[in-house]
Amino acid sequence: MTTLARILLVEDDPNDVELTLTALADHNLANEVVVARDGQQALDYLYRRREFATRSTDNPAVMLLDLKLPKVSGLEVLTQIKSDERLKMIPIVVLTSSHEEKDMMRSYALGVNAYVVKPVDFHEFVNAVKELGVFWAVINEPPPGSVKK
Amino acid sequence: MTEFVERPADAGVRHSLEYWNQEFQRIHSPILRYSFSVVSVAIALGVGLAFQYYQFRDVQLPVFTVAIALTTWYAGAVPAALAVLLASASFDYFFTQPLYSFYVYTNELPYYLIFVVWAAIVASFSAVRRRTEANLRRARDDLEVEVEERRHREHEIRKLNQQLGKRAAELEVINTELEAFSYSVSHDLRAPLRHIVGYSELLQRQASSLLDEKSQRFMRTILEAAKKMGNLIDDLLAFSRIGRAETNKAEVDLAHLVQEVVAEIARDTKQRDIVWQIGPLPVCQGDYSMLRLVVVNLVSNAVKFTSMRKPAEIEIGSVSHNKEEVEVFVRDNGAGFDMQYENKLFGVFQRLHLPEEFEGTGIGLATVQRIIHRHGGKVRGEGAVDQGATFYFSLPKAQDGIERIVNAP
Repeated sequence: MTTLARILLVEDDPNDVELTLTALADHNLANEVVVARDGQQALDYLYRRREFATRSTDNPAVMLLDLKLPKVSGLEVLTQIKSDERLKMIPIVVLTSSHEEKDMMRSYALGVNAYVVKPVDFHEFVNAVKELGVFWAVINEPPPGSVKK
Repeated sequence: MTEFVERPADAGVRHSLEYWNQEFQRIHSPILRYSFSVVSVAIALGVGLAFQYYQFRDVQLPVFTVAIALTTWYAGAVPAALAVLLASASFDYFFTQPLYSFYVYTNELPYYLIFVVWAAIVASFSAVRRRTEANLRRARDDLEVEVEERRHREHEIRKLNQQLGKRAAELEVINTELEAFSYSVSHDLRAPLRHIVGYSELLQRQASSLLDEKSQRFMRTILEAAKKMGNLIDDLLAFSRIGRAETNKAEVDLAHLVQEVVAEIARDTKQRDIVWQIGPLPVCQGDYSMLRLVVVNLVSNAVKFTSMRKPAEIEIGSVSHNKEEVEVFVRDNGAGFDMQYENKLFGVFQRLHLPEEFEGTGIGLATVQRIIHRHGGKVRGEGAVDQGATFYFSLPKAQDGIERIVNAP
């Protein structure tokens, strides 16, 4: 694993953050993960506002987005990003507990690149996160302007 | 007199009728009517005498007929007869020879006769007109009552419609609430479960060398219980989705569907000794994917509950009771059930066997029932302990359903 792109993880639940980071760490994918705890923070990161004002201008190579978030919901974040010329190319994977077809339909309609329902089984969860990390941060060629070490 | 209610469509007609009634209607009081008769003849007599005074001849009779006509018109038939009588008498007394005497010469009799007949004709016309008018009025009153009733019914219908609309709105709200509920079950209930499983796994990984056999068993139990709960939630959500999902009804070839499902399940149960027997199955109306779920549930149940049989025998077929409906059955020679618990078969999370005997969440038959009910059919089960079970579901047939025979795979 020579190249590793930055992952933006948007997740409000600290347990889920820990489990996801653990899953990524299990496969040496955790060193370039930025965690945003709500939709507002995620947008702050992308627009380089507040605590992220000084970060480099590169976009993350992939964004793992939960749908149920405090303040600004995942679908609102999605709408915002996809309507912004500079951000719409960022690959977005919805990583959610929701099996609801309605959520899935809306997410795809807004242009997500993948929709993953978090499996209850931990092994399956680790596997899913690993596959996502490997595919989006290693195998996939991110759009120009993304962070790539 | 009937009260008139102004209504735009026939207001003009009604108004003129009312005017007619007020202006030209005969006088109601009998005294006034007869007085009218007497007075009009008296006026005619006065006018006649005046004409006579000025030497006008032969105008008295027309004047009297005018009085009779007016009396017939305004006062009715009997006062008219009185007027005829009075007019004849007055004419005879004042204007014919011998004057001032009621004596009538024979040669003038036809003259009087024609006068009386003419007056009678006028009176009878008036009577006919009155009868027609009375009939018309009665018909109008009947219509009025009917219109009133209809208006009442319309009002009732409108009220019921409003209630229905309100009820629908209420149901919509409840449904939205239910959806929000199932959404939060889907999202919020699964999250802590995932954490229980996740952290237990992590703990197991981190501390397995420190834990004794008993503690390890506890850990495994926690994990299994959490996973089972995950399955229960998933099944429950799937079940609630069936109730909400829209059905896309089309012609479904059950023979083809069953063949497909059996082939799939037979592939997964190669190590088992199962004898499949599939009879003729019809084409029916339904939602393909939902009906497939029904067949999958029933066939998997049959496979599950015959696990101790060698060979297991599973038969799928249909019985046609009438032209509209067909009943499909899945029969097995497995564990069966006690018919006294038949009413619990299709309940959600109802199980008739211990979890150690047969695994499962107890939602399969509830799902089957829900889908079949949504198709307008019925489900039932027959069985006896250790003698196998048969599950039936009925479906409406396709319009020109063709029955085809499918051979066992």
